Amino acid sequence: MARTKAASIKPSFSDRVFDIVNYTFMTLVMIVTLYPFLNVLAISLNDSVDTVRGGITIWPRQFTLENYMQIFQYEGLITGAKISVLRTLAGTLLGLISGSMLGYVLSRIEFQGRKFMSTFLALTMYFSGGMIPVFILIRDLNMMNSFLVYIIPGMVSAFNVFVIRSFIDGLPYSLQESAKLDGANDFTIYYRIILPLCKPVLATIALFLAVGQWNSWFDTYLYNGSAPHLTTLQFELMKVLQSTQGQNTGMGAGQNMAEIVKQVSPESIKMAITIVVTVPILLVYPFLQRYFVKGMTLGAVKS
Amino acid sequence: MNHKKRLSLLLAIMMLATFILSACSGGNNGNSASGGDTGNEGDSLEPITITYFSADSNANWVNMQDAVGKKLTELTGVTIQAEFAVDGSNQKLPLMVASGEYPDLVFAKGDANLFVDAGAYIDLTDLIEEHAPNIKKVYGDYMSRLKWSNEDEAIYVLPTLAAVDNEMLDAGGTFQIQHEVLKELGYPELKTVKDYENALKAYYEKYPTIDGQPTIPLSLNADGWRIMISVTNPAFIATGVSDDGEYYIDLETAEAQLHYKRPEEKEYFRWLNHMNATGLLDKETFVQKTDQYEAKISSGRVLGVIDQDWGFGNATSALRSSGKENRTYARFPIQLDETTKDATFQDTGYVAGWGVGITTSAKDPVRIIKFLDYLASEEGQILMNWGIEGEHYEVVDGKRVIPEEIQERKTYDNANFTKETGIGLYNALYPRYGDGVLDSTGNYFTTNFPETIMKNYTPSEKETLQAYGVEMWKDLWPKKEEFPVKPWGVAYNIPVPSDSNINITYKKVEEITRKRIPEIILADPSKFDELYDQFIQELNAAGAEQMEQEYTELVRARVELWND
Amino acid sequence: MKAVTETSGSTEPTVNKKKKGFWTTFKEQKILYGMSLPFIIVVFIFSYLPVWGWIMAFQNYRPGRGIFEQKWVGFDHFVTLFTDDKFYLVLRNTLAMSFMGLIVGFTIPILFAVLLNEIRGSVFKRTVQTISYLPHFVSWVVVAGIVTKMLSVDGGAVNQLLMALGFIDQPIQFMAQGSWFWYIVTASDLWKEMGWNAIIYLAAIAGIDQEQFEAAKVDGASRIRQIWHITLPSIAPTIAILLIMSIGHLVSIGFEKQFLLGNPLVVDYSEVLDLYALNYGLSMGRFSFGTAIGMFNSIVSIILLLTANGLFKKFMKQSIM
Repeated sequence: MARTKAASIKPSFSDRVFDIVNYTFMTLVMIVTLYPFLNVLAISLNDSVDTVRGGITIWPRQFTLENYMQIFQYEGLITGAKISVLRTLAGTLLGLISGSMLGYVLSRIEFQGRKFMSTFLALTMYFSGGMIPVFILIRDLNMMNSFLVYIIPGMVSAFNVFVIRSFIDGLPYSLQESAKLDGANDFTIYYRIILPLCKPVLATIALFLAVGQWNSWFDTYLYNGSAPHLTTLQFELMKVLQSTQGQNTGMGAGQNMAEIVKQVSPESIKMAITIVVTVPILLVYPFLQRYFVKGMTLGAVKS
Repeated sequence: MNHKKRLSLLLAIMMLATFILSACSGGNNGNSASGGDTGNEGDSLEPITITYFSADSNANWVNMQDAVGKKLTELTGVTIQAEFAVDGSNQKLPLMVASGEYPDLVFAKGDANLFVDAGAYIDLTDLIEEHAPNIKKVYGDYMSRLKWSNEDEAIYVLPTLAAVDNEMLDAGGTFQIQHEVLKELGYPELKTVKDYENALKAYYEKYPTIDGQPTIPLSLNADGWRIMISVTNPAFIATGVSDDGEYYIDLETAEAQLHYKRPEEKEYFRWLNHMNATGLLDKETFVQKTDQYEAKISSGRVLGVIDQDWGFGNATSALRSSGKENRTYARFPIQLDETTKDATFQDTGYVAGWGVGITTSAKDPVRIIKFLDYLASEEGQILMNWGIEGEHYEVVDGKRVIPEEIQERKTYDNANFTKETGIGLYNALYPRYGDGVLDSTGNYFTTNFPETIMKNYTPSEKETLQAYGVEMWKDLWPKKEEFPVKPWGVAYNIPVPSDSNINITYKKVEEITRKRIPEIILADPSKFDELYDQFIQELNAAGAEQMEQEYTELVRARVELWND
Repeated sequence: MKAVTETSGSTEPTVNKKKKGFWTTFKEQKILYGMSLPFIIVVFIFSYLPVWGWIMAFQNYRPGRGIFEQKWVGFDHFVTLFTDDKFYLVLRNTLAMSFMGLIVGFTIPILFAVLLNEIRGSVFKRTVQTISYLPHFVSWVVVAGIVTKMLSVDGGAVNQLLMALGFIDQPIQFMAQGSWFWYIVTASDLWKEMGWNAIIYLAAIAGIDQEQFEAAKVDGASRIRQIWHITLPSIAPTIAILLIMSIGHLVSIGFEKQFLLGNPLVVDYSEVLDLYALNYGLSMGRFSFGTAIGMFNSIVSIILLLTANGLFKKFMKQSIM
């Protein structure tokens, strides 16, 4: 209804200029930012030996699926993918719960732990005890070789909490007030009023969390490297990458040229790995995107 | 209704989360059964799991389900549960040491000192003496090279990365020039950098473009650590000294000196400076990344490179596959002038170095050393290198031969071949002989020998070699017998004590070198001397002289340790 | 930390009648506590407990011995750090690049998000947005490779374009000029991360009540006016929060992009603090020195954070603490 009303108002001259400039700018952005990805895609689909010659832009010169086949021959990718999906789901969910709860609690001005907790959280973004103490801690908590190590230690992200809090701060307080008058308790307000209104920011945070979880491999390496049933896709792919980059102990110095020469060039494999890793996240994206691209009308929630 | 739906969704999600958490944390206690119950005599074939960490990456490991691995388990009862580093920087080793929990067997590369320092490696001297006749045999007279230091003569590490009595079968560096250039110029004699320069220049003047693109007479690779291989090490080699890391070590006094300080090398860099000034050196030499460097080479328009053959292996195969095999490279023992000879093949004796150690966490070290001893036996080494008889090789008239189709797979599908057969997969684990060593039946231990290399030369290589009247590249080089043996092996694998300042100064020196050498090469020739002197002064100001003195002590200690 | 004393000060049954006691309020707010304390405990365990590792900065830590069996060296590592000329060089580079990154990499994504919001075609809008964040997933190795190739003198796109347009006669060695390095890094970073960094502002914009825009449209406000009077003020809190947090991160910007884009000719401009810490700390086994740099880093970061937080609180009524 409102939409048709707005559309019926004739755009002014300056608005039209604005639109032209804006659309041109966006088209430019699109071209410039599409290039690296297309480049990666093209190289991943190009013959690995031919890739060395360089000059591949957005179209493979000698098309092949060989690089992908090379990757998929490795063991452990399926288990890895399963664990990766699980940790992404669990980690995202837990991160959303912790972020939104803390964000909400810390947005309540009358909450007496507010200042202390905010400071306590904020500082964690700027220091770290270092790898050795964390490693020892994880071992003492018996979290080595366990799935929990993927989701518990990094469960709370201060950054996410503050982003969510600032979003909640932007919401009209009257909504909370009226709910309170209706006798709703703090959790009900969080659950009934705040969560639904926070969809855009939660979708964003979910994206950050999911990408972070999906891409991480170093924790797998440190804590679960010797537990094949718990390794992630990224970790397995990292192994492939490291091995194609040569300097293998197995290869003696006396190995002759013919043998070195036929090994796959790391370049194409690397690109294929990038694609394999990125595509699943790209598939999730549209589901999250609609929440933060489209604006919302508060009126709908109010009633 | 809407609320109800949402609530149930949230509940479902939360249940899923708890389910995932509880389901997966169960994996905790699954795999801690290393060592097992084998306390008895080590000859038993009772199943045992040995845990192993390697500081090198290895994506081809299939948990011993490869042919060789299965055979090994069958013969020894051993299953190795292995983990391989996946970060190039090995950050896991110090963590392991700090936490005090180790796998049974650790291949720690340069970080072995961490394990020794923490008392995590056990002394292998008696174990080898009592249980490992084959290991003793392989190391032979070199046993004293396994000692940790003059103060602590224990054996903590079995060097496995370097094979014993390994012979460099062919030359792979350093001054490379296209076969096509040589052919065009009628195979000129190439002995000095001047000869090399003249050849590149003559061809460049004749053909300023190749396939429509500008010809590049000479390019080097200065991307990251490769600057050592392609820019600074050649200064060593071109002045009649063999590579010893960043130091030149005097054979008589064992005095160590940063090799850039040698006046001869200054002249080598002067030559590079001259190459740049006369427009023969690629303008992008110090800016390009490795992939750009290789792309240029693959286009066939780079006439010469100063590099090892593996430094541009991908480019060589790209040239071959795109029909420009004539633009691949020949190599020569080129020197700065005729007063020196190329010492690439100078003998170092057994270099020892990186290898595996057994940790204090191992429950049955005897069984482990016996396992390693089996690997080091003749039978074991042949199994590791050649595979299973009848499957991966055959014995014809007492000679081991690899059937054509197996060789084909090994060459063209190496990753999968390794995964299936396990050949070459276990090399970091055990002491072994290198290329060119014969076993009791007169066959080579390894599958690399001169005949295969010669067979694999390309037509252009054969043509060039014939023109110069030799069979292999190596034949162009002075023989190893022409040089004295270096009593310290190679200087770059002398371990530096962790409380010494050598590492810090070394890093500073390295940074200065990687910054100044390119600057000096690109400078106006009239400023060369001034800049070079400044460079040396800067090195000294960073503590180079002190470092050289300390290093000299280390080299002398090594010579003493190894040759008493 | 001040907050601790403040709150604990109010635990005693107060004389002030208006203010309720700590425990009374605690009970009243038990749900809020229940929703936050468990997470705070997790943060305490995983972020605060490991800080014992800072003790290493005052020792010569060698792994494999207990933390109290190490050799104590007092402030030696800090002295080494602060007397190293190299440290000041890398600090300069770090600050230069992070300030440039803050100015460009912070404002442009906001601008992009705001402008993107003004696109009316839904499909176009979504497409632009999806594509713009793709480079985030391309690793720095690849991006650095593309940048180096584009700026090459050997057939690089930028030089060819400039020559075709007649601006230059000879190709320029962009990557060999130290003075240009910071700009190249900043521009590459913008290219890679603009779309990704804009997402958070898009979400903030999506939170604005659409009715405000409708009303403005009815009043005949131009697009620019709507942006100026509705969009920007509405996302100002988000901008402020993110700015405060970014200012705290000024000294720790990672080293990957600088390392990969750098080369021997520009090292004096490309080396940053994080790389220095890695090279002279961890990768040399100097855990203690690495820890000392880490401590320096944390303390500077926290000072920056508190300063930024205080300034924003005073002048913009926005803060994170």
